[in-house]
Amino acid sequence: MMWLSGGFIFRRGDSFYHRLDPRAKLLNSVLMFVTTLLARSIFEMVLVIVFMVGLSAAATVLKRVARTMAFTALFSGFIFVVNVLFTRDLETSVLYAIRFIAIVVSTSIFFITTSPDELEQVMKMFRLPRDVVFAFVTAVRFIPVMMLDTIQIMDAQKSRGLELEKGNLIRRVRNMIPILIPLVVNSVVRSGELAEAMEARAYGAVPRPTSLLVYRARRADVGVVCAAVALFAIAAYSFYFVVPVRFP
Amino acid sequence: MIEFRDVSFAHQSGVRALDGVSLRVEAGEFVALVGENGAGKTTLVKHVTGLLKPASGSVLVDGVDTREASTAQLSRKVGVAFQNPDHQLFSETVEEEMSFALRNFGFPPELVRDRVSWGLELFGLGEYRKSSPLILSGGEKKRLTLACILAWDPQVVILDEPTVGQDAIQKEKLAGTIQMLKSAGKTVVVVSHDIEFLWPIQPRVVVMKGGRVVGDGPATAIMQDRDLLGSARVAQPQLVEFYQELHRRPGTPFVHPLDAARWAEEAMRP
Repeated sequence: MMWLSGGFIFRRGDSFYHRLDPRAKLLNSVLMFVTTLLARSIFEMVLVIVFMVGLSAAATVLKRVARTMAFTALFSGFIFVVNVLFTRDLETSVLYAIRFIAIVVSTSIFFITTSPDELEQVMKMFRLPRDVVFAFVTAVRFIPVMMLDTIQIMDAQKSRGLELEKGNLIRRVRNMIPILIPLVVNSVVRSGELAEAMEARAYGAVPRPTSLLVYRARRADVGVVCAAVALFAIAAYSFYFVVPVRFP
Repeated sequence: MIEFRDVSFAHQSGVRALDGVSLRVEAGEFVALVGENGAGKTTLVKHVTGLLKPASGSVLVDGVDTREASTAQLSRKVGVAFQNPDHQLFSETVEEEMSFALRNFGFPPELVRDRVSWGLELFGLGEYRKSSPLILSGGEKKRLTLACILAWDPQVVILDEPTVGQDAIQKEKLAGTIQMLKSAGKTVVVVSHDIEFLWPIQPRVVVMKGGRVVGDGPATAIMQDRDLLGSARVAQPQLVEFYQELHRRPGTPFVHPLDAARWAEEAMRP
């Protein structure tokens, strides 16, 4: 679980990809996502994966992306087996399995390199209601805090003799109660305190508040988006105009 | 009772939290761990109950290597009251909350009832017996967590920032409880930034900085070392500062910081 969540949690970095305009990062991830859906041959899919791995290396997050890929591969294995059983088509099954990994990686790269603040700016640019943006961004921002809370609560309860790994399934589920109740109560209390603190700092005083960050596209932004557009164009062309070469 | 042998530990993020810590705490000793935030105090404490295992070196509790025992087994000997009481309170009533660990350790029902009553009375929480622990004030929650720990009578009691959110009267009561535990022969370890609270109880003081033990000795010696405490970002007790200020003057009658404390107490008496 930690592996999977680690693949979507932002950690501050100083690579060229971290410094990109968040709109460029979002566009790049969306293009990658769509390209993986359009790709109909293993070659195209591998090309997309190689591009994303290259970006991950440039963004110095290759290790985290590799871990996410390894974790996702478990589900991909399941997708592969189910497809082989029902379609009896090995190539399509491999394609679907790789596509799942590519979809996860395309979104993972965006989330691990984009701070909640940048995410907020991107959502505001799409003119989404401020309350909705704030609720979403706060939820993302609080994931690591809640994970830390969970660890501390587990430590406290284990120190009182709670053995989470002991007993049958029902007992194990019941053992989670001392973890879940403090976690939920803390979260509710924290959200109430946060609301009060925000109101005390004039949240909602004006309908359109000003912004701290103003983004302008630079060469690196344009370069990354152009590369993604090129890949997307290849996949789109191949999808509509080329009959895929299939292995006999 | 507790022994750290050249213990090092790094968090997943790569931050080195303990760096070659060697420390021995004898049975019945009262030790205060002080140091700036992030010095490694809580990490050190978590090693005692086996919540964290050393990356190198070893931790022995009553002769048992913590790597060889589960947290539940170690917790029977070591009770830890963590800093934030909201991280452990979950039961429907205060008495159920207190009985949680006792039931986990398999205490017989009549003993559970006796222990719960004893703990609630000791910490002045009897009136809340049937109340939800979640409606208690911050200070009451803190006392409840301490009562929960003492209920199963561990040999070692570790208190992580026990004075946070406590008023002056409760701090005095807490100091009294620590004295009581000392008299009962318990090993008490207190992690605290509250130097004014620690000074009158006169513990052995262990100063931590950057994951290392940089000072270790009786309170009177350590608290007078302004440079040592300053380097670990720990303030001196006001009475020690007062004593040192007076001691610089010629002909001072004070030869020991506790003399200054006694003099100040007498001078302030109406």
